Amino acid sequence: MKRERRIAALLLAPSLLLLLVLFYLPQALLFVVSLGRRSAYGGVVRDLSLDNYLRALEPLYLGILGRSLALAAATTVLCLVVGFPVAWWLARRVPARLRGALLALVVLPFWTSFLVRMYAWVVLLRSEGIVNLALGAFGLPRAELLYNDAAVLIGQVYGELPFMIVPLYVSLEKLDGALVEAAADCGASPARAFASVVVPLALPGIAAGCLLVFIPSLGAYLAPDMLGGGRTAYVGSLIQSQFAVARDMPFGAALSFVLSLGVILLLLVFRRPLRAAQAL
Amino acid sequence: MGSGRGSGRSSGWGSGLVLSGVSLGVYLFLYAPILVLAALSFNASRLSASWGGFTLDWYVRAAANPAILAALRNSLIVGTAATLVATAVATAAALAFHRHRFRRQGLLEGLLTLPTVAPEIVLAASMLLVFAALGLQLGFLTVILAHAGFTVSYAYVVVRARIAGFDRSLEEAALDLGASPLQVFFKVSLPAILPGVLAAGLLVFALSIDDYVVTSFVAGVGATTLPLQIYSMVKSGVSPEINAVSTVLLLSTALLLLAAFLLEQGRSARLAALPAAIGLAVLGAPFVLVGVPAPAARTLNLYIWSNYIAPETLARFEARHGVRVNVDLYDSNEALLAKLQAGNAGYDVVCPSDYSVQVLSAQGLLRPLDHRALPHFANIEARFLDQAYDPGNRHSVPYVWGTAGIAYDRRRVLAPVDSWEALWDPRYAGRILMLDDAREAIGAALKRRGISLNATDVRQLEAARDDLLRQKPLVRAYNSTNFEDVLLSGDVWLAQGWSGQFAKAMEQSPDLAYVVPKEGATLFIDNLAIPIDARSPALAHAFIDFTLEADVAAEICRTMRYSSPNRAALVLLPPEIRGNPAIFPPPDVLQRLELIRDLGEATVLYDRLWTEVKASR
Repeated sequence: MKRERRIAALLLAPSLLLLLVLFYLPQALLFVVSLGRRSAYGGVVRDLSLDNYLRALEPLYLGILGRSLALAAATTVLCLVVGFPVAWWLARRVPARLRGALLALVVLPFWTSFLVRMYAWVVLLRSEGIVNLALGAFGLPRAELLYNDAAVLIGQVYGELPFMIVPLYVSLEKLDGALVEAAADCGASPARAFASVVVPLALPGIAAGCLLVFIPSLGAYLAPDMLGGGRTAYVGSLIQSQFAVARDMPFGAALSFVLSLGVILLLLVFRRPLRAAQAL
Repeated sequence: MGSGRGSGRSSGWGSGLVLSGVSLGVYLFLYAPILVLAALSFNASRLSASWGGFTLDWYVRAAANPAILAALRNSLIVGTAATLVATAVATAAALAFHRHRFRRQGLLEGLLTLPTVAPEIVLAASMLLVFAALGLQLGFLTVILAHAGFTVSYAYVVVRARIAGFDRSLEEAALDLGASPLQVFFKVSLPAILPGVLAAGLLVFALSIDDYVVTSFVAGVGATTLPLQIYSMVKSGVSPEINAVSTVLLLSTALLLLAAFLLEQGRSARLAALPAAIGLAVLGAPFVLVGVPAPAARTLNLYIWSNYIAPETLARFEARHGVRVNVDLYDSNEALLAKLQAGNAGYDVVCPSDYSVQVLSAQGLLRPLDHRALPHFANIEARFLDQAYDPGNRHSVPYVWGTAGIAYDRRRVLAPVDSWEALWDPRYAGRILMLDDAREAIGAALKRRGISLNATDVRQLEAARDDLLRQKPLVRAYNSTNFEDVLLSGDVWLAQGWSGQFAKAMEQSPDLAYVVPKEGATLFIDNLAIPIDARSPALAHAFIDFTLEADVAAEICRTMRYSSPNRAALVLLPPEIRGNPAIFPPPDVLQRLELIRDLGEATVLYDRLWTEVKASR
């Protein structure tokens, strides 16, 4: 038992060490920065003040934060709704020998630059774009598809979908079909079998997928800027501009800690149902 | 592993046809933009707005472009290394939790997943802080470390989801039967969790090869990756060469997947060999064509905007001095400032804009120039010298200049435009584009009121903000990257933007016109300068003087279409460039231009007011 513990600790050590040097230490430094002030030339003046946090909680910034949460939530829900059938199809319907290849095809587009793919969406959606040309060819009225919230959502779902499908697939693929079958044999309606057998068993995958989609969505800036025409401020671009334009690193750091804290609180709220699911 | 057993009968919800239909639709959704970008790689026109006929030209050009090839090679090196490290480390951690229940299990697991909650830019900036504190030279190593660092939590989440249901008793049984722990791992554990590990690897590679934000902060000399190359091109136009490279990258990866698939199916290895060979040959091509990064004996490290210097120009310098010039790219002055402030960047020549020269020299980050080593300095026109941002040009030499004005489509905008007022004209509602840039947008609003674009008076600035708020319903998009493309495609009729990009667009469409509004506008001057910690200051001086030679300066101007401050170069330029008012505006326009100054504390005020404009609905 002791030996086993040592092996487990040894297995765990590299990841913790890596994160210690590349995440926890940097974040600690950044926290010190967040208590400081911007110097006239965009450097950092050390201080011990909470001013940046108070500023981050002003209505202007809280409103932006709220809108970002809504965008991330909408992205996550849409990805789940669209991604689940695909993951199920991949994991349960496709012959086993094709699965790996088809899953790889889901991820393959992501090996090209997101920026270039966003440009491609612009070409598809703009006034004289491919979608509108197609609509026109069928005698349908043209639509302004670009530079609105719907376009932002399309871009976000497009950008995050694989991060939902992959973990869903991974957990659905190992789900025991006999259990679903048993539920059906016991007279459960398909909906009931889905809700009471499939969902609980797939919960680790659902949780992982939602985590991997929701959190990066909070930092979204490319889709809002390129497909949304930059008409709405989201916290991703806001933090970006603090570090990269206003060179106000202390305020940018404070904003990001407020954001991270919000996410952690959300995760804690959802922790209990997740635990229960994983214990199954 | 899932056997798919019983799936035939449990099909009530989600009958096969519907499921397949939805899945097909999702694959279409995922590949629609890919088809578009592949199609554009065969488009003879540089612009996505029009189809100029079929060509393979962009592939030929990409294969001959050392910068793009080197960037691709760097991305493949970084992606592979980061994927191996992050996936291995994350798998080990997931196994550790699976084999043993630690006392503080929840806390430890939390520590592993917590990094996913931080926005990428924050990870990037904080890692740069640590690398700077440790005195690490920025380069390949820091990029690989950073990529492994920010992806390891993602890999862990995916592997963990797979392991969650893995039956431990299998491992125990194998151990009981006398297998060694290593045998157990390779024969029992790994096969069971392999799909999770592979999926994690796929995701990590995808995250790494497309990462821009983290890389832009921690990359150093010679570590420009493909995303850095692409983003830096945004300001001067992303060339279809990038589409060609993306298409090749996708196809070769698809070929490798096909080979793996054929092998997995138990087909003959001969059948799989062909796609594998082609795929590997294509992915290996950049390594062969530009070689493996190796520090040359004498190297000049140049850190500059994309498309600011032609490869031929660099080759001439290399030949003359028997050195190698290594070029890395950035896409904003602020990226340059961050890199030089962190120190240890290793660059010999940089290209800061006017106000950044002021910021850098005030912090002692620039090396005073030795004007005796710059005999061609006299070629610069006097009116670009001795500016407030660098009195006496002690730290910088003007390289190019340009303006920020209005370009418009003459077919749609009937009255000639001569004033910022046009961007507030309700007749053009929904057809106006503004730069997504606090200083330029607020600057335009200030100029419209006849106020300096360096105003710091709160009331004046608030009035400008209110003007921008009133203007917002008329604005189609805020864009400071590919604004000329949006104008060319017809989505907007009037756009605020920088002259060089518009000059290129005007060559594509004779219907575009560019004006510097009568109220005045921004002038910018990009300069060459030498960082304080440059390794080869003498060579850096030689390079700067080289760019001041008349024919070299003319070549630079022909490459980038921004204006040259070099008087001697002017006569060497073709009439279509010299006569283009967007590139060389008439003398009376020059009187109306104003340089953007660094405003110190007021920068925060500008940022706040701009945020208010952007956040309003």
